[in-house]
Amino acid sequence: MSKQGGKGGAAAGKAKKPAKPGADEKREDVLQAVILADSFQDRFKPFTLETPRCLLPLVNVPVIEYTLEFLASNGVQDVFIYCGAHSEDIERYIHESSRWSPASAISPFSSLEFIRVSDANSIGDFLRDLDKRSIISGDFILVHGDVVSNIQLDAALAKHRARREANRDACMTVVLRSVGEQPHRAAKARGITPVFVVDPTTGRCLQYEETHPLQSEHYLDLDPAVFSAGQFEVRTDLVDCGIDICTPDVLALWSESFDYELPRKNFLHGVLKDWELNGKMLYAEILDDGYAARATNLQMYDCISQDVLERWTLPFVPDSNLIHGQTYRRVRGSSYVEDHVVAERGAKVTQSAVGRGTTIKTGSVISGSTIGRRCKIGKNVRIENSYIWDDAVIGDGACVVHSVVAGSVVVGANCQIPEGSLISYNVHLDSDIQLPSEPPARISALTDEKQLAETDVSLVGKGGKGAQYTVVADGEDSDDEDGADGDPAILQSSLIYSLQGLNLSTSSISTLASSDAYDSDDDLSQAGSLQAGESSHARDRLSSFASDDAAKPDDGFHTDAVNGLVDALRADDSDDFDGAKLEFMGLRLANNASDGAMRRAIAVAFVRRAAELLTPDHGALEPTKAAGEALTAKRGAVKFVKEVGVGGEEVASQAEFALALQKALLGVRDLEESGRAGALLAALLQQLYSLDVLEEEGIVAWWADERAGEGEAMGALREKCRVLVEWLENADEEESSEEEEEEEDDDGEESD
Amino acid sequence: MAPSQAAHVPTLDGLIKAFNSQPLEASIESLIFLLKRRQVKGDECAKATAHILRQVVAKSKWNDVDQLLSRVQSVGSRLARAAPLEPVIGNVVRRVLGLIRDEASEDRNADDLASEAASDIQSLTPSTHPAPRPAPVPVRPSPSLISTGLQVSKSMFNLLSVADPGDSPMTGASTPMSQAQPASVHALRSEVMDGIEEILDEINQADDQIAGFSEIQIHPGDYVLAYQPSKTVERFLVKAASKRRFTVIIASLAFPEGATEPPYATLRKKLNAAGVDTINLASNGLMAYIPRVNKVIFGAKAVYQNGGLLVDSGSCIAAQAAHEYLKPVIVLCPVYKFCPEDPSDEVSRGELGNPSSFVSYANGPAVDALDVENTVTDYIPPELVDVYLTNLGPQTRHHLASILADHYKTEDIGFSLQLGEP
Repeated sequence: MSKQGGKGGAAAGKAKKPAKPGADEKREDVLQAVILADSFQDRFKPFTLETPRCLLPLVNVPVIEYTLEFLASNGVQDVFIYCGAHSEDIERYIHESSRWSPASAISPFSSLEFIRVSDANSIGDFLRDLDKRSIISGDFILVHGDVVSNIQLDAALAKHRARREANRDACMTVVLRSVGEQPHRAAKARGITPVFVVDPTTGRCLQYEETHPLQSEHYLDLDPAVFSAGQFEVRTDLVDCGIDICTPDVLALWSESFDYELPRKNFLHGVLKDWELNGKMLYAEILDDGYAARATNLQMYDCISQDVLERWTLPFVPDSNLIHGQTYRRVRGSSYVEDHVVAERGAKVTQSAVGRGTTIKTGSVISGSTIGRRCKIGKNVRIENSYIWDDAVIGDGACVVHSVVAGSVVVGANCQIPEGSLISYNVHLDSDIQLPSEPPARISALTDEKQLAETDVSLVGKGGKGAQYTVVADGEDSDDEDGADGDPAILQSSLIYSLQGLNLSTSSISTLASSDAYDSDDDLSQAGSLQAGESSHARDRLSSFASDDAAKPDDGFHTDAVNGLVDALRADDSDDFDGAKLEFMGLRLANNASDGAMRRAIAVAFVRRAAELLTPDHGALEPTKAAGEALTAKRGAVKFVKEVGVGGEEVASQAEFALALQKALLGVRDLEESGRAGALLAALLQQLYSLDVLEEEGIVAWWADERAGEGEAMGALREKCRVLVEWLENADEEESSEEEEEEEDDDGEESD
Repeated sequence: MAPSQAAHVPTLDGLIKAFNSQPLEASIESLIFLLKRRQVKGDECAKATAHILRQVVAKSKWNDVDQLLSRVQSVGSRLARAAPLEPVIGNVVRRVLGLIRDEASEDRNADDLASEAASDIQSLTPSTHPAPRPAPVPVRPSPSLISTGLQVSKSMFNLLSVADPGDSPMTGASTPMSQAQPASVHALRSEVMDGIEEILDEINQADDQIAGFSEIQIHPGDYVLAYQPSKTVERFLVKAASKRRFTVIIASLAFPEGATEPPYATLRKKLNAAGVDTINLASNGLMAYIPRVNKVIFGAKAVYQNGGLLVDSGSCIAAQAAHEYLKPVIVLCPVYKFCPEDPSDEVSRGELGNPSSFVSYANGPAVDALDVENTVTDYIPPELVDVYLTNLGPQTRHHLASILADHYKTEDIGFSLQLGEP
């Protein structure tokens, strides 16, 4: 994440060189594409410990081959590949490939470049880097390195161009594949359901949200602006295949919002939300035929593999032999078999793909699976719906069901590998091993730090090698597509889609959220924090400003208190805050609200008022002005905050209030570009400091509080206040005198 | 506006245009992938193969006939492997191989090599065939270049350097080269290229030639069933319509989902304009009409030496139905589609297409529950076919052998087997 833009806010992207429209048109006949070969996820772990995701074999072809071939089949000329983890491996693979190597005469691309970004932590960093390089001259196709698709983009490109000619602000077309309303395996496998609000007549995308089965509330709030479009459809039946047709303006947008990380959840959502600010229009191209999907997780991997075997992806099917040296033929039993495969008499292979040099001994039954090259399958083996990669050895009598067995794995005789097992590279299983089925085993020879794991004899047997791989479940050091959303990632990290074992009962989560979530904030137990944080996060994400209150029907005190305070702050007719204060105290008594709850309600109310002042409807004030206005417009408000909100002189309670402000800002985060939320926090803190509500010790204590940096979003907000805190820390001596003067000024204002 | 609303999807035409701007190997490879991705298919394959082999003859380095033959064989087998269910590719390769052998044996008999070479250049330059573009191919000076002596000498230099043994990848540098050989290589090159142009012409004109026989085959008042009319069949019917009054029953698969026009709308318009009635028919209603029909016509993708046909799927039902009712089945197939081999196992099982023609991928439960095998080609056994209408005239299957013998040399029949993996 780029930290230097800490206080830039919305202005950060202004320095962007003006797009050269003339040049755009000239080079239009050269189609450029950008492949994002790393998605900063760990859903394919433990396999991705050794191999980058885009080189994992999908029906015995590295995933990136599908993507490159897709681009080639669409006549793309220039390709730029952004690699993150394992970038050397990907580069080596491409350079050694006779078809794609830029040095090769037969490459269908006129240029193919790798771009390395040393400190990239997210896709957003890639795209901001791309913007700086200004190598993109016109419309380009942005794809991920795991797209499998046979669609032809010509029609979508032509539409995109026509729209752009008509209106410069039509800057992006998202290509989506409809999968119908009935349950669909591709829809089930993706874990997160994207929700697109689309104008069906123009195809304009109006709002983007995400839902997943684990969130506490199964509803979405529509942005009121959506209704102004006249006609709209809310569609959840779309598979997002990660193919975007963009103009260079899109990159400028990325640069402007330097904290966007994910192309969908952050960028698409944010840009649509801020439509009134940036005026950019995004369109959705919804396809009803053709195939497009992304191998984003193991379930999608499973689903796409089946689709390839069933030829939905034609011409990207094994017997097209798109990779040099492949010799697949379709044989009886709907299987694809390469040359030099020895299947002994009595071996049965149906609906599978078997790579060159594999031997299958007698009595073995293989169905719905892909077997890599040079595998050795023993006698009477049963392999169902599994993915066996190159050089694996499966001993006699073993049984593999719906699992992934990676390269060079040795499975001993009579092993039972139940559904959902993931066995990573070079693992050895001794004979007669029965792997656990609940939860499915996930065995790796390496640990997360890429060290050799200590062999777990109880799991893999005496002669075995490898140990259970445990997923690091904290959202902080994995820049997962779901960021802090631990839960959907759990859904997606296994091969089998299952809601079993996950706490799905909405009642229990919502109980937690309504009664305890806020009260327990101050002293969250480790166990509770995950769920409570989770649900409140989900709510924040999905709630629009206007209906934020309605989202918490149970939390009577909070809602009423916040509403009352905000109304009082908004009121034009009176500038007295005492009435509101009385009302608030009354509510507090009636509900027996804790100090924490009060603190939070006050924080939310002021933050909401300040945030409101930022919006164009209310004058579009600068964050500093807005903060000042919110706090000082009403007489007695500052005093109220000081007495009731902070509730004392102690450093601890001041820190708590700062924390409450920060959390409250997180709540309205989606309304604001996050940069402004950070700026607003800094402004509020500064105002409170100069109004003598918070003291520097309080702010510093908040800064030091680990909860303030907890989670990505919180950390981002906190980061924006670094300047303020540093200034406080460094310059407290000089400031103290000025501060007093300021204080007097403010007091004067207050008494006006 | 419309700043080159250029379609980016690569096509055969685009490839042919790019021949001169990219190395030979790149052209071959792009064609292979066009074939693999099915972006070039059906009748385009023959044309594509002829074009690329012309480039192979023109651009690759070879010093004698054997080298040329092996070059063509290896490129040809790569193409044939790329699209195993497009036998036409192999046919064109065989034709070119046969052509090279013929020219070479003529050459050996010819005495006056030098003059022949000169006359070749002259005979070549004025004839601007429907070749891709008269851009300078190394050995073939374009008319504008001839006027300046410097350019000619340059191209002569190229000519010699092509024959330079050091450049040849195939032979050792020690191969003794006679003075006369470069000239003969040059002559052979232009002759072969001429021959390939002729093959291309034949491919291009075949449909028209076949259409020329339409009035013999179609009689006034006929009811003609055309099953999924191909381009060849369309032209045939339109030509017949200009002379005869008859009725065409167009049978096809069900109305394609989302299509704005019923299938073959343009054909129907053309036929109606000429005063020929048309009836559209879904293929499952075909049987009911068979008693009324006088003849069944469809195009073939390939004809095997036993007389069996590779056709679009569904045609077999039409042929079988016609056979039951003793209605003549007329197959339109240009000579270049005759394969001197027997159908393979894969051919008889048919090529599998994308299941989405029958089940939409959006239909989740069906995608999960069904295993859809959409065969896009059929094999029709020879006994169901009555007349093979080629561009050389109507034939019966008893005379196919002579056509094959006329067009292919026995040594080229198994060309793709003679070479291993390149």
